[in-house]
Amino acid sequence: MTPAESASAATESTPLEGKYVYCIIRNDRSREFGEIGIGSGARVYTVTHKDLSAVVSDTPIVIYDPTRENVLAHEFVNETVMREFTLIPMSFGTIFRSENDVRALLNSTYQAFTDVLDKMQDKIEFGLKILWDRDSVVAAIERDNDEIRRLKDEITRNAASSTYFARMQLGRLVEAAMEEASNRYVNDIHEQLKEVSVASRSSKVIGDRMILNAAFLVERKDEKSFDEKVKAISLQYEDLLTFKYTGPWPPYNFVNIKLKLEKAT
Amino acid sequence: MGLLTNILLAPFLGPVWGTRWTLEKVDRVVREELTDDTPIKEDLMALQLQLEMGEIDDDEYVRREAEIMKRLREVREWREKFGMSTSGGPVRVAESGEPE
Repeated sequence: MTPAESASAATESTPLEGKYVYCIIRNDRSREFGEIGIGSGARVYTVTHKDLSAVVSDTPIVIYDPTRENVLAHEFVNETVMREFTLIPMSFGTIFRSENDVRALLNSTYQAFTDVLDKMQDKIEFGLKILWDRDSVVAAIERDNDEIRRLKDEITRNAASSTYFARMQLGRLVEAAMEEASNRYVNDIHEQLKEVSVASRSSKVIGDRMILNAAFLVERKDEKSFDEKVKAISLQYEDLLTFKYTGPWPPYNFVNIKLKLEKAT
Repeated sequence: MGLLTNILLAPFLGPVWGTRWTLEKVDRVVREELTDDTPIKEDLMALQLQLEMGEIDDDEYVRREAEIMKRLREVREWREKFGMSTSGGPVRVAESGEPE
């Protein structure tokens, strides 16, 4: 039986004995967040130890595939909690066997959670992916770069006689100019966003059209300024770049606590 | 004896060493390939981006996502077979106190 089959079979028949953990917040009383949990709307509530709470829902003991549906459910709970709390997000799919096991986590990691919650207080994350339109960028380069324009004109004029070498040379010049352009855009955008963010983190780009895949940590009070800045930049680069701007998120890319966990068999 | 012997014996020793070395190397490469989910996760992210950019529709997404989930599960099974760590599933605070 595959994990997916076990997941769907389990929701119907087996007891919901595990606790799926979404995030850690500073809260010392019992709270409810609605029936929005992973696995068709489980009730989301808190398990508390001193002034820390884990936000959890009941779940069968299964391995959740990171499907869009499951990941969105996980994220939706965190978004909901985030409206009221600063939170430390848990990795997708983290399940404990009992409330006591969850309390043991809060107890054993109490200091680290507290420190990070202090550091992340009133901070939110935005995601920014920037893709370029190759053709427009090449057109812009051919317009602005004299050497490339001259070489290209020459090749076009003497189509029959132009050498393989000349074409190679043009290709190399365009490649180099594109890399230079990409770096210039990315640096400029980082520089402009620095004024309205606390920190940024770049991840590997996805596919060959992406030139930036970054997360920005922003003070809640600066949310509007950050927003306006991103809009202004996307107008500035309207003809060349496509912006995928998401958030606010919990600080997924700025929290890195190594939890001392082992498999509970 | 000496150099000449080595050369004369080489046809016997050579292939044996060579084979063992190759098998170990193949074994390692295969193992790495079977247990590495990085390229699968990259495929998943690329697929998600395609959906966000409107390059594919929901049906196409769901179909290809199912294939990627299947590959992820296969990697998980291999990792379990080789006794390597896997994510997801039930966990508890480690008694040893050593981080994973």
